[in-house]
Amino acid sequence: MTVQAPAPAAPAPAAAAPPAAPRRRVRTVPGWIRLLVTVVVVAAAALFAAVTVSIGHARDGLRSIGHTAGPQVVATADLYFALSDMDAQVANLLLTGRQSGGRQAMLDRYEERRSQADRAVLEAADLAGDDATGRMTVRAVLDGLGRYERLAERALVLAERAPAGDGPPPAAVLEVYRQATDLMRLDLLPKAYNLTLDSGTIVRRSYLAELSAVRAGRVWVAVTGLLALAALVALQVYLSRRFRRTLNLPVLAATVVAAGLAVAAVVVLQREAGALARAKEDGFNSVLALSRARAIGNTLHGDQSRYLLDPQRADTYEQVYLDKSQAVFYLPAGNLDKYYAAVDRGVAGYPGRADFLGFYGSEAAHVTLPGQRESISETLKLYQAFQQADRRLRQAAAGGDRQAAVAQAMGPAFASYDDALVRLTGLHRTAFDAAVAEGDAALRGWEWVPPAAALAAVLLVLIGVRPRLAEYR
Amino acid sequence: MLTLLRAGRPRRARRRAGRVAAVALAVAAVLPAATSCAAGTSILDGDSLVIGVKPDQPGLGVRDASGKFTGFDVDVATYVAGKLGKTARFVAAPSATREAMIMQGRVDLVFATYSITPERKTKVSFGGPYYVAHQDTLVRSGESGVSNVRDLRGRRLCQVTGSNSWRRVKEERKIPVELVQSASYSECVRDLKEDRVDAVSTDDLILAGFATAGTKIVNAPFSDERYGVGIRSGDIDGCEAVNKAITEMYQDGTARRLLRKWFAESGLALNFAVPQFEGCG
Repeated sequence: MTVQAPAPAAPAPAAAAPPAAPRRRVRTVPGWIRLLVTVVVVAAAALFAAVTVSIGHARDGLRSIGHTAGPQVVATADLYFALSDMDAQVANLLLTGRQSGGRQAMLDRYEERRSQADRAVLEAADLAGDDATGRMTVRAVLDGLGRYERLAERALVLAERAPAGDGPPPAAVLEVYRQATDLMRLDLLPKAYNLTLDSGTIVRRSYLAELSAVRAGRVWVAVTGLLALAALVALQVYLSRRFRRTLNLPVLAATVVAAGLAVAAVVVLQREAGALARAKEDGFNSVLALSRARAIGNTLHGDQSRYLLDPQRADTYEQVYLDKSQAVFYLPAGNLDKYYAAVDRGVAGYPGRADFLGFYGSEAAHVTLPGQRESISETLKLYQAFQQADRRLRQAAAGGDRQAAVAQAMGPAFASYDDALVRLTGLHRTAFDAAVAEGDAALRGWEWVPPAAALAAVLLVLIGVRPRLAEYR
Repeated sequence: MLTLLRAGRPRRARRRAGRVAAVALAVAAVLPAATSCAAGTSILDGDSLVIGVKPDQPGLGVRDASGKFTGFDVDVATYVAGKLGKTARFVAAPSATREAMIMQGRVDLVFATYSITPERKTKVSFGGPYYVAHQDTLVRSGESGVSNVRDLRGRRLCQVTGSNSWRRVKEERKIPVELVQSASYSECVRDLKEDRVDAVSTDDLILAGFATAGTKIVNAPFSDERYGVGIRSGDIDGCEAVNKAITEMYQDGTARRLLRKWFAESGLALNFAVPQFEGCG
């Protein structure tokens, strides 16, 4: 029973295999080479797949936050702003209409905001995609906007027909305007705000998913890269032992290419994860929060006009004004007088002390950009000036000097504050754009690098083993 | 017998080694899951929710003799839990301990006339609000001289120990009223009917719960009380799911039905549009 193992296809140069070897399948030298090459090719393919999939996630994440959903979310934040400014302009027109100065400018601004709102609604509809709840909200906002415009127009027409006078508009005008502003403040603005929050959710989810995919991808690239290297080293060692040559240069080159691909991919994924995180945390989050602060701030300005416009509801508008002020810049204060004093104290203490909450509280607690602290400080000083103007407005109104109060409401304090806030938002916007651009730049060339490198490695291996296999033909 | 024993020993030893290895493997497998659990549990993880509600607020949350909770807050909470696919178990959440209950994990959610404030937001997060209540005024049905909070000038206003609502009239609005002490709002309403006070002023939904024949709500709101859903700070997924459920509650008409069911009789002007959410981030 001396059954020989199947004879090698070609006579091996080192065919001195002891015949007493245990009885199991013995691989021939070319068989071993083919097996090792197969392992190398499979490992290279796995590395290629890991790199391609992870880079794809990085690209998707960057596209979503940097180019599609991210900017759209910011656009939906503008919806709230546009809507609230429409209502503020109507209130201003009713308040100052018969003094006529700047009337056309207000009407123009109303029109501009209306088309801005229309555009933002389209963005919101696009973002909602096939989410039924979101689509229903978008539709409700569109319907409501049509109703609002009819009511606002009616109020303005009625006001024009009313006899001229210095006091508040006649009851009939106020009655229609109340319906309009209630529709806007209690129905449309909340829905618009919630749409922005919903869109923020979409971006947050996609960001978290892509970020964790990129991070996991880094591990996969490292693992498959090590496997490929191990296979290549095993092939190299086998070849040099078997054929007594120092190094197989093409296989060595293949090793360098594979290692280069793996290391470069890990580095680029690391950078992409960083760019994604910076775009989201330092850019997008702050841009969105400050857009919300701006939208709410704008309704403050409208509440001033409404306070003067409708004495019957003055208490409500004053209370709402205080509530919204505290949402933007919070310090404990039971009434407006205490709040003015608290704002003076809080702003004077910054940046040494930031004990306030609200939107500016979170902004001040998360200072990451150069110039951000100074920009916050400037914005807060102008916010304080706006609140001081509000104090004078209410004092004048309480003292019966309606003209002075209206002049105060139409004064420049709000616009200067708003401009400073826009500049602060711009700072984050720049950081966002820079992070996205950096991420884009790091990805350049990565469409062809992984397939080219993987293909090169495989070809080099084949070139390297071909002469060795030829020895057996 | 002897051979059996002898043969058995190494096998048992091997089995023990196997068991140790299995345990080690299981620990290794569970460890990352356990640490990630501690870092961020979500109300979405389990099958049931423990929900804190008021035990003594008529119309909003009341515990009856059998221990069952009823009220608007309870119905809203049941709806939201259903939308999240969870069963709800209710426990009493007294005002003073709401933050602590959430932070210690004794409740998953709180629906208990829980106004969203910046101070509270430093400790817990808020889904919703599911309704924006307003401070309003309750007077006797025959009263015709009060159409606005300013008309309370010189009248007798009920002051409930531990409640801040009277401050909004006397201190914030600086309206000179005569305060009459009372232990609770139900006592206030009795005093109102028996002409010992002229007005009761607090959240309109609370007033609506007490309003009975012989009283009317003025419908002149002068503050926003945003009733939020208390949730552990950091559970953004859970908070966003709650907001979505509340949006759907308004879209499918449930909010309108529940508001009418609990508050229509009081004559209160109700708002059926979804409130502006606080935001979860």
